Amino acid sequence: MILDVKGVTKIYTGSNKSQNIVNDNLSFHINEGEIFGLLGQNGAGKTTLVNQILGLVTPNSGDIHLLGESVLASPVRARTICSVQPQSQVPLGFLTPKQAVTLMGKMRAGKHFDATRVDALFEALSMGEWANIEGEKLSGGAKRLTAFCMAVVVPGRLVILDEPTNDVDPVRRRYLWQVIRDLTKNGTSVILVTHNVVEAEKAVDRVAIIDQGKFITQGTPSEVKRAVSDQLRIELNLAQAFTDLEVPTWALSSHRNGARLMFSIDQADVLATIDWAKVQVDQGLIIDYSLSPTTIEDVYIELTSQKVVDSK
Amino acid sequence: MNVLNHYKYVFQMQFLRNAGFLVFMALIQMLISIGIVIGFTYLIPNANTQSILYLATGAPTIILIFTGIVILPQQIGTSKADGYMAFMRTWPVNRAVILAADTTIWLLITIPGIIVATVVAHLMFSPGYDISWTVIPAILLIALTSIGVGYGFSYLLSPVASLAISQVVVFGALMFSPVNFPMERLPEWLQMLHEVLPIYSMSEIMRAALASSTFDVGLGHYVKLMIWCILGYGGAVFILNRK
Repeated sequence: MILDVKGVTKIYTGSNKSQNIVNDNLSFHINEGEIFGLLGQNGAGKTTLVNQILGLVTPNSGDIHLLGESVLASPVRARTICSVQPQSQVPLGFLTPKQAVTLMGKMRAGKHFDATRVDALFEALSMGEWANIEGEKLSGGAKRLTAFCMAVVVPGRLVILDEPTNDVDPVRRRYLWQVIRDLTKNGTSVILVTHNVVEAEKAVDRVAIIDQGKFITQGTPSEVKRAVSDQLRIELNLAQAFTDLEVPTWALSSHRNGARLMFSIDQADVLATIDWAKVQVDQGLIIDYSLSPTTIEDVYIELTSQKVVDSK
Repeated sequence: MNVLNHYKYVFQMQFLRNAGFLVFMALIQMLISIGIVIGFTYLIPNANTQSILYLATGAPTIILIFTGIVILPQQIGTSKADGYMAFMRTWPVNRAVILAADTTIWLLITIPGIIVATVVAHLMFSPGYDISWTVIPAILLIALTSIGVGYGFSYLLSPVASLAISQVVVFGALMFSPVNFPMERLPEWLQMLHEVLPIYSMSEIMRAALASSTFDVGLGHYVKLMIWCILGYGGAVFILNRK
């Protein structure tokens, strides 16, 4: 076992003595070579949890063991075992991607650093054209990929990636997932922090969904989806963002995001739903619709957006 | 050995990241230090050699104070705001190594300004330089104190508060501190304040190093600076390791 988190609770006390429970009795573990997805909305407590694993923040109660030893005992050891891509952009200043990644590699591996690893990474992510351009002139995606390379050039036993695909184009996202997969072949474990659930579903071995500081579910993607496995999801593109569309009475849960409306249904209601959708298309209320098996995103939305669903 | 390697790579990372900015700052430092020597002679008409010697031996101290207590806190404010500070905290190295590498860089950018100002002042005014070997430990101690104090308060305080302090310090150091003129000209309460603050000791040590035949400095000033230096770095390391 690489990482073992036991009953970690972190409470921040505000200026008016108000207590904010950011992590509430969280427990989980990560095995060697495993990709663990940590999903949750903004402010759910993901980054606070990561900072505690790195020893940057001390939990109020609970303990975190990396390779069998407590993080609290030696934070430098924790930072050596883990390598991190932070959520925010890394301001590279005048550093070129090649310099930044090479220096980070040397910092981690010292004299044993293999410089060809940098070129191999840039090749795998199709980043060669940016290798020698000063960081401040690079686009957001190029900077994000550079920060990713800094985390994986000499990976720790545990690589923590906080929203690694933000700003990255779809083609290079695929390359990036491949690089992450390759890491795990050598026994490296990965924590993937994200709110991009659709992408994460394809990549992770196990997943935990965190909401308001608590794990509301964890397991393999299929275990997590079991709660809604006999359901289907229909996704509609509304003709106008403001269209006031009445959701059918048999819809189990619905979620609206601008002109995109989703709801889940039982398999028995498929035909009725398609008929209903055809009527809406004929009336010009929706542009198109699609029906698909449930994804982790549905579970995620159902579990984390109870308020939105209730108010409908 | 490991620590030395870490120091080397952290230094390279920080130096290359700031390369353009550092060149620019070193140039600014040269201009400021020449400006102090020449500019103050406009302020004091018919300046005698004694006054010019005060200015010429005060300029390097101002440069070191300026670097440690004005430029450095601004840089730290920026790296707190843009997330670089948080990123550095995840590096697999001891925090003191990062502090040491950064200190080296700050020290390096002050050197060109000090040399240029001294050469220019000597060629223009020949104010009576008599450089002693103590100039090396003097510059080191003054720079480390100034950088250490700069680190201490900019880690301790919010960016806004440390910006405010640095503005007061730069004005106070230039106009209300016995750096470019003798202590006796200040009112008594300011003299008492300067017995505690490090600025007076910095300027005394620098003067004795650059014009050793004119000025003397007591050991007490060295001790006082060391205490301030330790307080500054101690505070910075404490804050860096705080969770």
